[in-house]
Amino acid sequence: MITITINNKEIKLEKAVTVLEAARSAGIKIPTLCYHEQLEKYGGCRLCLVEVEKMPRLQTACTLMVTDGMIVRTETEAIADVRRGILEFLLINHPLDCPYCDKAGECELQDLVEKYGPTTGRFKEKKRKVTENLQDPVIVRNMERCVMCTRCTRMCEGVQGASAIGVVSRGGHSHVEPFSGNRYDCEYCGNCVSVCPVGAIMSRLHRHSYRPWQVKENIETVCPYCGVGCTVVAQVRDDVIKRLVPKIGSPVNNGMLCSRGRFGYEFVGHGDRLTTPLIRKNGVFEVATWEEAIGLVAQRLGEIKDKNGSGAVAGIASPRCTNEDNYVFQKFMRVTLGTNNIDSTARMGYAGAQSFIENIFGQGATGNIISGLSNSDAVLVVGGDPTTVNPILGLQIRACSRRGGSILTVGHLPGFQHFSPLELNPGLNHETQLFEHILEHIVGELVSRKVLPGSNPLLEAKIKTVQADVAEMMKEPAISEKDFAGFIEKLAGAATPAVVIGKELIQSSGGGYKLFLICAITYLINGRIYLLSDHANEQGVLDMGCAPDLLPGYRPLSYAEFRKRYETAWKTTLSDKPGLNIFEMIDAAGNGALKALYVMGENPVFNLPDAKTVEAALRKLEFLVVQDIFMTETAQQADVVLPALSWGEKYGTFTNMERRIQRVRKTVDREGMEDWRIIAEVSKHMSQRMQYADAGAVFEEITRVSPLHRDLTYDEIAEGHTIYPYKGEPLRGATAEIKIEKGSSYPDGPLLLGVARPLFHSGTLSRKSPALLKIYPEAVVRINPATAAPLSIADGDIVRVTSSAGSLELPAVIDKHVEKQVVLIPNIFEGKGALSLIAIALDPVLKAPVLDSTPVTLERVGKVSA
Amino acid sequence: MTILSQTALQEIDEIRQNYPTARAALLPALYVAQREFGWLSPEAYAAVSDLLGVPPAIARGVGTFYAMYKNKPMGRHVVQLCTNVSCMILGAEKLVDFLKNKYGLEPGGTTVDNRFSLVIMECIGACGTAPAMLVNDDFYENLTEKYIEEILGKYQ
Repeated sequence: MITITINNKEIKLEKAVTVLEAARSAGIKIPTLCYHEQLEKYGGCRLCLVEVEKMPRLQTACTLMVTDGMIVRTETEAIADVRRGILEFLLINHPLDCPYCDKAGECELQDLVEKYGPTTGRFKEKKRKVTENLQDPVIVRNMERCVMCTRCTRMCEGVQGASAIGVVSRGGHSHVEPFSGNRYDCEYCGNCVSVCPVGAIMSRLHRHSYRPWQVKENIETVCPYCGVGCTVVAQVRDDVIKRLVPKIGSPVNNGMLCSRGRFGYEFVGHGDRLTTPLIRKNGVFEVATWEEAIGLVAQRLGEIKDKNGSGAVAGIASPRCTNEDNYVFQKFMRVTLGTNNIDSTARMGYAGAQSFIENIFGQGATGNIISGLSNSDAVLVVGGDPTTVNPILGLQIRACSRRGGSILTVGHLPGFQHFSPLELNPGLNHETQLFEHILEHIVGELVSRKVLPGSNPLLEAKIKTVQADVAEMMKEPAISEKDFAGFIEKLAGAATPAVVIGKELIQSSGGGYKLFLICAITYLINGRIYLLSDHANEQGVLDMGCAPDLLPGYRPLSYAEFRKRYETAWKTTLSDKPGLNIFEMIDAAGNGALKALYVMGENPVFNLPDAKTVEAALRKLEFLVVQDIFMTETAQQADVVLPALSWGEKYGTFTNMERRIQRVRKTVDREGMEDWRIIAEVSKHMSQRMQYADAGAVFEEITRVSPLHRDLTYDEIAEGHTIYPYKGEPLRGATAEIKIEKGSSYPDGPLLLGVARPLFHSGTLSRKSPALLKIYPEAVVRINPATAAPLSIADGDIVRVTSSAGSLELPAVIDKHVEKQVVLIPNIFEGKGALSLIAIALDPVLKAPVLDSTPVTLERVGKVSA
Repeated sequence: MTILSQTALQEIDEIRQNYPTARAALLPALYVAQREFGWLSPEAYAAVSDLLGVPPAIARGVGTFYAMYKNKPMGRHVVQLCTNVSCMILGAEKLVDFLKNKYGLEPGGTTVDNRFSLVIMECIGACGTAPAMLVNDDFYENLTEKYIEEILGKYQ
C-alpha cells in the first residue's frame, strides 16, 4: 500500500500510478493539455506541473510515479504563475478566433485560459499565419490553432497504428500534416479528431452547424456497421445527428472508432430514404397508405399460404436489424405463416462456419472478448484483413504486436505491414497444403513435448487422417524453410494464442476443409477463435432463430424438447422439418416451388452471388414484399415496398461477434414504424395478434422463451457488460460427426475474381453515406502491376471484367498488394457489385458460397479523361 | 517502381543491416536519397519509406526536422555559409551581401542559372578561422570576397 498526500488529502493506493492518476482518483483536478488517458505519456505541455516536497523543481504530474510518503501540492501561487506563463506562450500564435471556431465550448485551451490564463498578452509581434486546409473532404486542419500537444500523432501512431500524420518541420514552424500535406491517405478513423484538445483537427461533417452546448442529449448507442459493435455517442441537434463520438471506457472500443463508425452516419436522414409504402400496380409503384399496404401483404400471404401451403412462403431476415426485429420476424414466419423457411445473409459464411466450429468446440466457442486479443502472445490471422473488415478488432491485434506478441498471417495483409508480421504467402493454390503442413508440424512439435491435449477424441481421430501433400507446394517454394520454422515456433510455443478467421477463408474453394484444419490447429495450440463478422447483428440474427434449422437461443429445431418449449410459449405447433436456406429459397423461387417471399432489411439481388439468376428467380414469385430503408435493387422488384425506421430511429438490441448484447437507442425522431412493428401489424391482419408496447417488451418475451437469454433484463443490458453465456444455458460439447470434404483446386492460369472488402464501406448503408463516398467514391478493380503490364492497363484505365455470369466496366487501380492471379472488385456500388459476376456454388460442408474461384478476363476499353 | 538508382537501393539495403530497426536507419537512408537528387522530394520520401517499411509521414517528419535535409530543389552546388557569432563578427554578413550582389544569390535561394543555392547555416566549428563555409562537402575558411570568387569559380 502506497500512501501519498495531495493538497493535504491522504490518498491510499494499491499500486504505483502517476501523481496525475492518483489525484484524479481522489477527485483532485490537475490541468492538462498533452495528457490523454488513451495515449502514451508525453509530459510536453507542462501544464500539470506540481510541487513535490523534497524535489528541487516543479514536476510533471502526468509522468511522475507516486512513491510512498510523497507530499504533493497542485494549486499554489507559484504553480498558477507558471501555468499562466505557459498559456501566455501558447497564445502567442493561437488565433483567438473562438467566436468562429467549432471547438469553442469544448476547447481545452479555452477552458484553461479562462481558469488560469493571462487576460492580455505581452507579445507585440505578429501571429503565425497558416491557411486553413480544406483539401480533404472529411477532415479539416487549422494549424494556427494547433498547440503541438502531439495527441493526434501519438494517437495515429501509437494507438491506431496508422502513422499517417506526423509533426513536420521544427520549432515555431512545426505543424501536423499527412504525408501529402493536403488530402489524407489514411484509414480515416478520425481518432485524431477526437483527441485534438483545440480546433486544429476537426470533422467537416458538422462544420459550423452547431455548438457543443446546443447538444441536448448525448445518446449512447451501438454502431450500425460491423460485428464488433462499438459504443458510439450520438450528438443531436434539431433531429439531425450532428456527430458520432466514441466513449472512453466503453468495453468494446474504449474511445476508438473507425471510418465507417465515425463518418458513416449520414444515411439516417438521407433524402433517398423511403417515406411511404409503395404498391406495384400495372408494373409501376404507386404511393399507398399503411392500411392499404399492410392489408394487401396480409391478404396475399394468406391466400398463397392457403392455396400452396406454408412451404410456398419464405422470409429473409436481416443482420442489420435488431434482435427484436428478427425475433418478431421469425415468430411471424413460424407461427403466423407456419413455415421454417427463414434465413439471412449470415448464410454467406458466418452461420455455416460458426455451426461447424461449435460442433467441434461447443456453443459459444467464437464468443471471445475482442480486447483480449491485445493480451495474446500470438495471433494467427487467416481469411482476410481484420483491419478492414472489423477495424477495431484489427487494432487489438496491432496492440498485441506492440506489446511483444507475434502476428502470424497467411497471405499478405496490408493492415499489418508496419507491425512486423510473420507472413506465409502460399498463393491461392497451396493454402490447403500449407495448413496441412502447419498442422503436421504442430502435431510433431506437441508430440515431442508430450503435450497433446487429448480432450477431444472425435477431433483427434480426424487430425490423424490428415496427410500433408506438400510435394506440389514445394515445387515452387514461395515460402522459405526458415520462415516456416519461425512461424511454427511462435505458433506452437504461444501460451495464449488466438486465431482470427475471416470470410475469405470460409468463402474459398474447399473452405470447409480449410476451416477444419484451422480448427484442428486451434485445438492443438489451445487457442481462442474469433470469427470476423461484417454486420452489426450477424450473431443476433442467428441467436433469434432466423435460420431454417434454429430456434431462438441458437437451439436446434430438430430437438423435440426445444420445439415443445416454443410450442407452449407461442401456443402453436412447429414443424420439425428444417426450412429452406437462403440459396434454396432462390432455387425454389426459380423452379416455382416458392410463391411468396418476405424480405426484411436485406438486398438479396445485390448481396447474394449471381445477380441475374437471383433477379430472374424473384421475378417468378407471385408475391414479393421488401421492407427496407432505401429503394434497393431487390425492392425495385417487389410487389409491395414497406419503409422501415433505420438504426438511428429505433430502440432495440444488437448482439456483437463476441456475443455481447448491447442497446441500440433512438437518436432522432422520424415518422414510421420499426421493422418488428410492421411485421406485428401484418400478423394482426392475419388474425394472429402480436402485441408489444415497445422493443423492451419484445426483448422481455425473448428472455422468457429463449433458454439462452433467460432472466436477462432490458435494463441490465444498458450497462454493455452483458456477455456470453449470459444467465442461461449454452449447449456444450460436440454432437455430430465432423465432416471433412476437400475442395477442388483452383484453375491454374486464368485470372480469378476476388471480393474486395474496403475499410470505408459496408454496402447498403455506406453507399448512402456522403462522407464515406467522398473518401471512396466508386467501384474500382484492383490488379497487380504484373497482371496489368501485359494487358497494357494503366492506373485509371477503364477495364472490362468478364466472367461466365456477366461483365462490368470499372476503372483500374494498380496495387502491388493484390495477388498476381487475383482481380479484386468490391461489392458495394449499385450495378457494380463483384458478386454479380459470380455463379452460385456452395461449399459442401459449410453451405457458404465459394467466391474465390471465378475465372475472369480483363480487357482495356478506354481511358478516363483527365 | 522506385525512383532511386540501383546503387542507392543497394546502399540503403546495406545501411538497414547495420541498424536494429528500420526507423533507426532512416537518417542515413534519407542522406543517400538526398545525394541522388540534391533534395528530398515527396517521391524520394516515398521511395525511402517504401524501401525501409517506415510510414512516409514519419519519414517526412524526420526529414523536415533536421536542417541538413533539403526540402526544396537545390542548385547544382550548395553553398552553406555560417553567420553565427564568430563568423558574423569577422564579416560573414558582408559576404552574404556580396553573394547577393555578385551572383544574385539570396539566402535560401537559388541562382537563376541553377548553379548555386545558398543556405545560411549555424556554427560549423571553425570559429578560429572564421568566416567559414561549405560548398557541397568541401570546407573553406578565412573567407574574403576575393577568396569566395576564386572558390566558386571552381564550381560550374
